[in-house]
Amino acid sequence: MNRVLSWRAVVVGLLVALLPALPFMSKFYLLLAFDALLFGAIAMSLDLLIGYTGLVSFGHAAFFGLGAYSTAILLERGVLSLWACLVAAVLVVGLYALVVSYFATARRGIYFALLTLIFAEVVYTFFRYTQTFGGSDGIQGVPAPRLMPAFAIDTPLRNYYVVLAYLALAYLVCRVLVASHFGKVLVAIRENEDRARFLGYNVQRYKMAVCLISALLTGIGGALYPGRSAFATPDLMLWTVSGEFIIMVMIGGLGTLAGPVIGGAFFVLLQEKVSSYVDWYFMVIGLVLIVIVLFMPRGLLGIRAMLGFKQWRATA
Amino acid sequence: MLRMADVHAGYGATPILFGVSLEVRAGEAVALLGRNGMGKTTLMKTAMGFLRPRRGTIEFDGTDLTRLTPHAIARLGVGLVPENRRIFFGLTVRENLELGLSAAADRSAALRRRRLDEVFHHFPRLQERIDQPGKTLSGGEQQMLAIARVMMAGARLILMDEPTQGLAPAFIRSIRDMISELKRLGVTVLLVEQNARVALSVCDRGYIMEKGSIVFEASSRELRESPVTHEKLGV
Repeated sequence: MNRVLSWRAVVVGLLVALLPALPFMSKFYLLLAFDALLFGAIAMSLDLLIGYTGLVSFGHAAFFGLGAYSTAILLERGVLSLWACLVAAVLVVGLYALVVSYFATARRGIYFALLTLIFAEVVYTFFRYTQTFGGSDGIQGVPAPRLMPAFAIDTPLRNYYVVLAYLALAYLVCRVLVASHFGKVLVAIRENEDRARFLGYNVQRYKMAVCLISALLTGIGGALYPGRSAFATPDLMLWTVSGEFIIMVMIGGLGTLAGPVIGGAFFVLLQEKVSSYVDWYFMVIGLVLIVIVLFMPRGLLGIRAMLGFKQWRATA
Repeated sequence: MLRMADVHAGYGATPILFGVSLEVRAGEAVALLGRNGMGKTTLMKTAMGFLRPRRGTIEFDGTDLTRLTPHAIARLGVGLVPENRRIFFGLTVRENLELGLSAAADRSAALRRRRLDEVFHHFPRLQERIDQPGKTLSGGEQQMLAIARVMMAGARLILMDEPTQGLAPAFIRSIRDMISELKRLGVTVLLVEQNARVALSVCDRGYIMEKGSIVFEASSRELRESPVTHEKLGV
C-alpha cells in the first residue's frame, strides 16, 4: 500500500475486527481478547523506546497506572465521558512523563532504566499508601465510560472495539513515526549517541520526545482499562508489571512494532491458559521466555525468517 | 577559522593534551601527524565538544567552542569524519546521508536534492548503493559515506580522523582525491593521519604531535624533507 501501512496490516486488522463474530467468542474470550490487544499495543509503544531508541524503561507500569487512575477518578466522580477521561490521562501522564524523561534521558544505559524504575516506585508508593485514592484497594466499582451521552461502553464487545480502535491508531502513529526522519534519528541514537551528536542532533531532546510519545500511548491504554475492569489499583503500577511489558517486547521481537503486539497478545493468552491449570504459571512463562531468548533472539516475528518464509527485517 | 590555544584536556584524572596550540585558516587543508597514542583523536574530540578542555581556548570563526555541546558545534558548520568509518549500519545509504543534513540550518526538500546530487557527483558508487543498508558496504564505501555525510551537512570545516586507516590503495587514492576536491570547493580540512605520505600529498601545512603536545609545525614540503619528520614519524 505504502511505506507506512501495508496491505498485510490492513488484512490482519480486518480479521481481528471480525473476531467477535466467531461462534466461540463468549464474553470471557472477548475480555481476554481485549487484554491481548491492550497489552499488545502497550508493548508496541514500549518498543519505540527499547527497540528503536535503545532505552530500556523499567517504569512503564506507572504510565499505565496513572492513565487508569485518571479515568477511574473521573468515572467515580460522575464524569462519564470517555473523551474527558482520555484528555485527563494525557495531561496527567504527559506531565509525569515530562519530569521522568527530563531526568532519565540525561543519563545513559542502566542509569536510564534505574531512574524510570525509581520514579515509578515513587508513584506506586504514593497511590499504595494514600487513602484519598483508596490506598491498596484502589478505586473499585467504577461505572462504564460513555463514548457519547447515550452510548455507554458497557459490554465486552464495545470495549473490544474501543481497544481495537486504540491499537489501530497507536500502530499508525508508531508506523508514521519510525518511517519519518525522527524515527531514523532514533535508530541513529540507538546505534551510537555520540555519532548522532556530532551530526548536529540534540540527543536528549529526541530521547525526551520519544519517551513522551511512548508514555502517552501507554497512558491512553491505561485510561481504557477501568472501562473493562471497573477498577484501578496500585498493583497496576508495580515494577513487575513494567517487567512484563519488557518481556512482551522481547517475546515479540525488538524493533518491529508488529512483533511486540504479537508478543503482548501471546503473553496474555499464555498467562491465562497456564494459570488456569497451575498456580506457578510464571515459572512456565519464564521458561518460554528463556527458550525464546536463547533460540529465537528475534522473537516470535523472527520465526518467519527461521522457517525461510521471509527475510526478517527490523529497523535494526 | 579554527584556533586552539594552550589546550589542556584528558579523560577523568588522566591528562592527554598538554597545552596544544594550532590554527587552521579558511580554505586550508592541515595535517595533524603523529604516532598512535599521541593525543590526536583526543584533540578531535575536544574540538568537537565531547571533552571539555581544562585550560585553553578553542575558537571557530571567532565563536568560543569550549562551552558548546557537540550538536551545537556541528550546527556551526564543523563536521567530523570519525575514525573507523563510523556510519549507521542499520540505516540505508540514503538514510545515513539524510541524517547528515541535520546540521544544515535549511533542511528543505530542494536543498536535500541538491546536496544529494552533489554527493552523487563526487561518489557515484554511493548512488548505486542508495537503498542498501550501511552494513553491506565495503570499508572504502563506508568511508565515502562518512565523508559524504558531512558534505550533506554543508560543513565549512571538516575534521577527519584517520580516513585511510585499513583501506585498500585504490580507496586511499580516492579519499586523497576527495580531500583535494573538498579544498577546491572551499572546505577547510583538518586531517589526522598516521599515513604521513598521504596526508602531506594533499595538505598545505602540517603539525606533528608527540605525547600530547605539538612538537613541530611546517609547510607540507618542509615536513616531507625535514629530518624531524623522519625522527618523529619514522618516514
